[in-house]
Amino acid sequence: MKKVAIFGLPLAFFLLAAVFLMRGLYSNPAERDSTLIGQPLPPFQLVDVMDEAIQYRNDALTGEVNLINVWGTWCQTCAVELPFLTQLKDQGVNVVGLYHELDSDPAFGVKSVDVIRTEITEMLKTLGNPYRFNMLDEGRRYSLDLGVTGAPETFLIDKSGKVRLHHIGDLNQRVWQSKFARLYSELESE
Amino acid sequence: MIVELGHFSLIIALGLSILLAVYPMWGAKVNSETLMATAKPLAFGMFLFTALSYAILTYAFVVNDFSLTYVASNSNSQLPVYYRVTAVWGGHEGSFLLWLLMSSIWTVAVAMFSRAIPKEMVSRVLSILGLISIGFYLYVLIASNPFERLLPFYPVDGRDLNPLLQDFGMIIHPPLLYMGYVGFSVAYAFAVAALISGQLDSTWARWSRPWTIAAWSFLTIGIALGSWWAYNELGWGGWWFWDPVENASFMPWLAGTALMHSLAVTEKRKLFKAWTVLLAITAFSLSLLGTFLVRSGVIVSVHSFASDPQRGLFILGLLVLVVGGSLLLFALRAPQLRSAGRYELVSREVMLVGNNILLSAATLVVLLGTLLPLIHKELGLGSISIGQPFFNQMFTYLIVPFVFLMGVGPLSRWKKQEPTALKNQLIAAFSLSILAAVLIGYAFDQLIYLAVLGVTLSVWILIFTVQEVRQRIGYTNNLAKLSELTRSHWGMVLGHVGFALVLMGITLTSNYSVQKDVRMSVNERVELAGYDFEFLGVHEANGPNYSASVGRLNVYRNGKLKSEISTEKRFYPVQRNVMTEAGIDAGLTRDLYVAIGEQFANGDWALRVYVKPFVRWIWAGAFLMAIGGMLSIADKRYRMAKRAKEASQPFGGKQIVGMSH
Repeated sequence: MKKVAIFGLPLAFFLLAAVFLMRGLYSNPAERDSTLIGQPLPPFQLVDVMDEAIQYRNDALTGEVNLINVWGTWCQTCAVELPFLTQLKDQGVNVVGLYHELDSDPAFGVKSVDVIRTEITEMLKTLGNPYRFNMLDEGRRYSLDLGVTGAPETFLIDKSGKVRLHHIGDLNQRVWQSKFARLYSELESE
Repeated sequence: MIVELGHFSLIIALGLSILLAVYPMWGAKVNSETLMATAKPLAFGMFLFTALSYAILTYAFVVNDFSLTYVASNSNSQLPVYYRVTAVWGGHEGSFLLWLLMSSIWTVAVAMFSRAIPKEMVSRVLSILGLISIGFYLYVLIASNPFERLLPFYPVDGRDLNPLLQDFGMIIHPPLLYMGYVGFSVAYAFAVAALISGQLDSTWARWSRPWTIAAWSFLTIGIALGSWWAYNELGWGGWWFWDPVENASFMPWLAGTALMHSLAVTEKRKLFKAWTVLLAITAFSLSLLGTFLVRSGVIVSVHSFASDPQRGLFILGLLVLVVGGSLLLFALRAPQLRSAGRYELVSREVMLVGNNILLSAATLVVLLGTLLPLIHKELGLGSISIGQPFFNQMFTYLIVPFVFLMGVGPLSRWKKQEPTALKNQLIAAFSLSILAAVLIGYAFDQLIYLAVLGVTLSVWILIFTVQEVRQRIGYTNNLAKLSELTRSHWGMVLGHVGFALVLMGITLTSNYSVQKDVRMSVNERVELAGYDFEFLGVHEANGPNYSASVGRLNVYRNGKLKSEISTEKRFYPVQRNVMTEAGIDAGLTRDLYVAIGEQFANGDWALRVYVKPFVRWIWAGAFLMAIGGMLSIADKRYRMAKRAKEASQPFGGKQIVGMSH
């Protein structure tokens, strides 16, 4: 009997691992708890990506439920989620873009604003434009405040300007249904 | 219509796999020749219908049948025909069909080449292979069917094959890798069949050895090609990233390597019986686990994207049945196993135990490194990530004792090795390898501690391998005696030399590679590690389904033209993807590697230039290891066994067992 217990160890080890794998299936591997949840958006003052004369402050994102979508033209996954975001916009969801500049490698030089603008126009024309407006996060300072780890990421902001959800990775039908939809309609009716 | 035929043949194959799982096993139980005789035709039938189904899917790709969801998402009318054929395994659904094809090929191979093995055993083995297949046929048919239609509204053109996969390395990498993964199912089936029948003498080890080595060889080449592909295609000059998916293929390889060695001990010395059975189960279980990790999206990796938990659940279910079931059987049956042989502390047996412990530890390191972030998070402890530094450090610790034993082991005697007899060999080999390492360090103008260590280890293996061969031929200079060594012996020699080359390549390229990120205008030169790279400019070119900016460079050494390199930046319009095609001048002692970046407003280009010494040795060594494996399988004694059987001598071939490693 004692021997069976020893030779049963691999089985026990495997079953334990299987339990974790099972739980892992139903959670998003890229998810991290954000300390910002329930907190008001950190103060910002950002220019429009297409026109530096236009400035946005926190009041631009209050009074309505908003999605802030962190993206960039260099980001493949962002290109994948653009059509779905556009679909959301057509259903009346407010989507605001936070344009995330790619690491400016000194050896490779910084892209000029004009190049960035043409790229954005091109991309939004072909894949759909979900954005009310796009804020340029120069030097990625605001992304740091928000705890952005990459692109794409999406924040759900309630009417009072508080962060309610932080999603890392692409937003698609499944994520929207399982994570956003209920909270979104609750916030809408507040 | 023809596509429905493909779908239908897959259903027939499922039916056959169910029959295969039931009848031969039953026949073995009630000792019915008739029932056992069904195994072979059923295995052939399963293979034929799977192959037909696979051929039809390939046909759908070749004729651009975009009414199939799978074809529409993974191909395009502009895609060259050879990539359309390989696009069959470019996505989830098709790669599982490929898995099934491979699995049926192995099953047929076992049915064909096992005439020397008693009928009951072969019947059980084939039944178990059928049983595993049922799960995968069901999975493909229910959860991931490549024959699903996009009717009535299907697209005019497809979304194209991921440009990353449009590369020669990618054409052959997945099939070889899958051959390896699935191949371990044969060793698994032999082990489980032995557990079921209760015949746990060491004969099953002899039978499953060639199959294990074959699977291992495929896996070795598969992994090497994957690494080679990453080096060519990703454009950052790396060849191994400890990505979860790479780990997923590395774990079965490590367990398989341990299994090969442990099978040898079980066959020759009738020892470690339970352990070998457990390893056989583990190697295939890790293949399945790897598939689960890659395909379910539980782990963040560049390879897994937008996956479906439903599918993951299905594979997990299969995993629990296959692995859990066999481990349960193991827990119940293994206690009856007794190993009879005796051996001393210093003996080849103990050194092989060391080999097994270290390889298992390495497997465990990779397994934990891959799964720990997941477990940590599910326990609510927050997210952690485990990356290169962890793995590199652990493997540096493990490799030192491993290589020590790898040198001494083959030279030592079974049962008892007199330690003093080895003393002179050890001292000589140790001094020689240190000397070689320091000399190589000086050749690179720089002594790096890790490089010295790595080269020492590598030379250590080489010296001992030569010594072992000399010992075998009795330390004579009569080279004719070399031909007396068996093929499987040469297999071991090549395997070990290959490993030494891999180690040498890894060490030198990791420690002595240099790189520069530069901004270059036309005709500008940049110097790196004694090479002058002259940038000749960029011209536009068009491929079948992409447009490219081709940058050309001349490389000079001491004023003499050494090579012309061109590197491409390709734009694939369908997926709007930009891909860098690195320009590589490959050489025995160094690779010159150039990747082109962005263009600047003033017309300059960003370029990344590398000189990577001895990087080819990594893949060359891996190929040598695989060739060693093939050579072992071609050994006479595996064929003698067949001939002996034909001469109606049961268990023929026994007389030559024990001749060599």
